[in-house]
Amino acid sequence: MSVFYEQFNRHSHGEGLKGHSTHYCPGCGHGLVHRDLAEAIDGLGIQDRTVLISPVGCAVFAHYYFDVGNSQAAHGRAPAVALGHKLANPEAVVISYQGDGDLASIGLAETISIAQMGLPLTVIFVNNAIYGMTGGQLAPTSLMGQRTATSPEGRGREMGRPLKMAELIAQLDGPVYVERVALYDAKQRVKARKAIRKALQFQVEGRGYAFVEVLAECPTHLKLSPPETEEWVKTQMEPVFPLGVKKDLTVDPWFKRGAPSFEPEAVLGLSGADPLGEQRPATPWPPHLHANDIAIKLAGAGGDGAQTAALLLTRAAIAEGYDATHIPSYGPESRGGTSYADVHIAEGEVLNPAAPEPHVLLAFNAPSLAKFAPQVAEGGVILYDSTIVKDPTGLPPGRRIIPIPFTQIAADLGRPMVKNIVALGAMQAVVNVLPAGSILDTLHQVLKDKPALLPLNDSAFAAGQQAAEALHATA
Amino acid sequence: MSNATSARPKPFLQPEYCKGCLRCIEACPRDCITPGDEINPLTGLRPVALHLDNCNGCSLCIQACPEPYGLRRQAARPCVGDDFELEDPAKLFGERQVANHSAGDVPDTFVPLPACDPMILKGTYAAAIGALLAGCRHVFGYPITPSTEGAELMAKILPKLNGSFVQAVSEVAAVNMMYGAGGAGVPCLTFTSSPGFSLMLEGISYMIGAEVPGVFINIMRGGPGLGNIGPEQADIKLACRGLGHGNTHALVLAPSTPQEMLELTREAFELSFLYRNPVVILGDGYLGQMTGIVKLPATLRRPGLPAWAVWGDRAHRHNLICSIALEETDLEQRNRHLNIKYAEISAHEQRSDLYRCEDAEMLVVACNTPARMAKGAVEAARAHGVKAGLFRPITLWPFPIDALLPVLPTVRQLIVVEASPGQLEDEMRLALSHAGIAPPPIDHVRRFGGLLPQQSEILAKILNYQEVLS
Repeated sequence: MSVFYEQFNRHSHGEGLKGHSTHYCPGCGHGLVHRDLAEAIDGLGIQDRTVLISPVGCAVFAHYYFDVGNSQAAHGRAPAVALGHKLANPEAVVISYQGDGDLASIGLAETISIAQMGLPLTVIFVNNAIYGMTGGQLAPTSLMGQRTATSPEGRGREMGRPLKMAELIAQLDGPVYVERVALYDAKQRVKARKAIRKALQFQVEGRGYAFVEVLAECPTHLKLSPPETEEWVKTQMEPVFPLGVKKDLTVDPWFKRGAPSFEPEAVLGLSGADPLGEQRPATPWPPHLHANDIAIKLAGAGGDGAQTAALLLTRAAIAEGYDATHIPSYGPESRGGTSYADVHIAEGEVLNPAAPEPHVLLAFNAPSLAKFAPQVAEGGVILYDSTIVKDPTGLPPGRRIIPIPFTQIAADLGRPMVKNIVALGAMQAVVNVLPAGSILDTLHQVLKDKPALLPLNDSAFAAGQQAAEALHATA
Repeated sequence: MSNATSARPKPFLQPEYCKGCLRCIEACPRDCITPGDEINPLTGLRPVALHLDNCNGCSLCIQACPEPYGLRRQAARPCVGDDFELEDPAKLFGERQVANHSAGDVPDTFVPLPACDPMILKGTYAAAIGALLAGCRHVFGYPITPSTEGAELMAKILPKLNGSFVQAVSEVAAVNMMYGAGGAGVPCLTFTSSPGFSLMLEGISYMIGAEVPGVFINIMRGGPGLGNIGPEQADIKLACRGLGHGNTHALVLAPSTPQEMLELTREAFELSFLYRNPVVILGDGYLGQMTGIVKLPATLRRPGLPAWAVWGDRAHRHNLICSIALEETDLEQRNRHLNIKYAEISAHEQRSDLYRCEDAEMLVVACNTPARMAKGAVEAARAHGVKAGLFRPITLWPFPIDALLPVLPTVRQLIVVEASPGQLEDEMRLALSHAGIAPPPIDHVRRFGGLLPQQSEILAKILNYQEVLS
């Protein structure tokens, strides 16, 4: 059978008998499931396209035998690995081959979540009611009363009842085909062969996720002869795990994916990059606050617009040819709690983006003013919203204090939410770090998709400037 | 399936491939098979005995035999695979969705990008765009603050580029999806943060063992346990010394600006494929959130397909992605191979940034955002007339010892600045120790719990030593 390697060179380097014998114990059901799978792959003509994910468990060495693409997964993660392969190459026919410990215990989250996603994958679940590789411990599918290495007195009530995976998977919305089959006699073997082929066919045709549970024999750990184990599966397992089709939906092929795009225009457009525009003519660095690096803190409650204003400043400064950074800091109580932003604008490079001693503080509420005003560098500027904060006390000496009713001005314009733009206008007039045109250009660029908002924002900015200039005139 | 069954050939058995399980006996309706009574000297097992006088070639015994080279039809040649023509799947199942590669090794190509305005991006977005420009179209992740925004941007963009973003059921699932996609030879990425990174470590060990590329962006947050969402650097130990079980290492890159988030992420993919190994990018919560200027590179990478990929086509059919090697000598050999790779990485991939180190007497060592606070402190110290400098490792593993050593002769005091209890310092000390260098005295400025060392603290430390030493 050509889907099996001519010689099993991965099995002890193919030396001696291991070149043609499996590592499975005499009478093990895995060998039969392997044959069925190999026949189905062969019959469907998909050997070149097949990627087989082997689990941790006795089938960990499936790649010794199958001449297909092979990937060996961590314990329980075969469906996740399979999904990765399927999304990498939707043309691949990906099979997740797993045992009961792998699929129904440690990998249950992957099993269920990927079944529910319902992408075309084929999951072959070999259920022999016991852990084989680790030496005969209790499996999630062990029967009640079954003695195992970790249930020496038999599976008891407190260990829970055997998990019926086919039924569980069938009741999910994702899968299109779920069947439980067995291998204990010729008739069952024919059904198993057909089910496995059908589960592959569903994937090949892009119809969806298919799951076949195979009741298999583990003579070694059941401590029975192979024929006795066949009988045990028939008489003991089958009543607990009824055979048959659990789900078989008629679904048109739906899974279609084109090749990923690497078109530069598409990538840049989606990333939000703009074609190289004209650089604003450079204005000389304003040295009155700091020789080359100005720190600004904007602080308020969540919703005051401190972050938006901070980002506008940052963008405007970068457009002006400076380096600039913005670090937002939201309190843990981010809804309505404190929200403050550190902005740096530097002639060369921003060294430290934090602003523990800002040159300018823009405070939208009393707690922000109380908290940050004492940190403002000597000779710095403190602007605050005098609509919200009345008669603040404890402001440090040696700083210019600029009270401006941002909220009132914004309300007079009909939209209190533009108070942050009012504040930016006021700050521009007082501090004059960036030219007004630079901030307004940035504002227009940010709002390019919402032109209706431009007049309001322009007015807010101008009103803030005027209020600051009026204050300056009266001072 | 070979269709040569019409002649109903009888079964054939090479006794050494029969394990004597007797399943064929049950299957035979004509009692042609009996348990063997002789032990096969090669196997120590008792193969069945065939008595084919009554056999009508029904092949039920063959269907019952679990061994691929056990019971076979007599027509089949022993130990040699059938020659057969594959049916063409294109004819069977219609037009293919994507072109299947025919060549084994398809090289990357680089497509020129038009000039763009500098972008203004937060660190996580910059990393995401760096990944897009590196040709990454597969992102797997699980939401965790403060890394999620990068994943959110990818969730928005990737479907429009025929890529995939999958929100996995857990970080454990996410890393294994990367094992799958990376094993198929495509560039893939995850965004995570400390607790999620912990969950991915097992999978990273498997990826290293199976030599699967993939890029992990860990925006480190406060720990241990659930900790908080503030910035910390306390996963340096995990990334440099604890990538899951076994003999593991991965390149660990530590950006300190949004620009570097883009550049290093982009580079991480190339390094990851060059060495067939995961690459870890460690950022801190500040860096993830920090917005700054980001200039785009000149080219976009269109990834090829490596010869080793398990892709699902004829050229790659014999490939295997696997970390199990049952025989001790095989696993030792694999570890030797990994060690050679680690040595190559250590020799060729050390990266660092030196700021005013040429005559530095006070040398500050810091990475990520704390390196920026440190840079501010160095500049301020210089204004005080102190010969301070900043050594900023960009690779944390391998630690850039080759660039540090030439700086040391003028250094009178090393000051390691970090938001962790000495994990960066440990890397430096280990590197110095391996280099056989007795370093100058080492002190540190450390903060934890979501707080970063501040410029004023670093400056105070520098000035204090200047006073002590002068």
